[in-house]
Amino acid sequence: MGDANTPRPPSNGAVAAASTSRLRQFINSPAGPKTIFFWAPAMKWALVIAGLRDINRPVERVSTAQNVALAATGAIWARWSFQIVPKNYSLATVNVFVCATGLYHLARKAKAYMATRSA
Amino acid sequence: MALLQTWSRFKSWALGPTGLKTTHAWGPISNAGLPLSGIADITKPPENISENMTAAMCLYSLLFMRFAWRVQPRNYLLFGVHVSNELIQAYHLQRILGGYDFYAGRHASQEQATPKAAPTVPA
Repeated sequence: MGDANTPRPPSNGAVAAASTSRLRQFINSPAGPKTIFFWAPAMKWALVIAGLRDINRPVERVSTAQNVALAATGAIWARWSFQIVPKNYSLATVNVFVCATGLYHLARKAKAYMATRSA
Repeated sequence: MALLQTWSRFKSWALGPTGLKTTHAWGPISNAGLPLSGIADITKPPENISENMTAAMCLYSLLFMRFAWRVQPRNYLLFGVHVSNELIQAYHLQRILGGYDFYAGRHASQEQATPKAAPTVPA
């Protein structure tokens, strides 16, 4: 019997211990869901959701200053997310949406203003 | 003399690895528009302020205060921007919920408490 000398693949237990699953690696990573570095940019989606919930708000009650600030910060952060190393696509995505909702509310205000001017 | 020292310290920060040539500084500077817009809205009546966005900003700034403190290198500028944003958005939120309005000089709920007198119909 040459079983002692024939190379055998490691048993299931050894494989599981040697290579942690990708999900586990992600959860325990230094920018993973156990850290603030994951949740703080993720919570930026709350700004997008708030902007979307405000779609039905009457135009006079929408704040121009706040939407200008949101559009500007969203645009700048979206650009910077592609320039940093490593590129942060999730941060870029959320900031694109922050900018888009800000610009949408500003467009609503502009449209209403043009309508009152031409009337 | 002290002015020169301050200027040289500012210059060494501004040209350094966390200075004005980097996103480390410009990200927070662009976020400073949020508290500034909040300050601009102090004169507005609370009905004209979005409660959705204000509540979202309060949560967002709390999280980013911790983020700025724990990131490497520690980002004091981002921390300061979000501290000020948290304060101004919390002020707007308590105004929306009927709290004290410093600009109007009274509680925001008092406006709703006294309804306008209905026009009397001649009998």
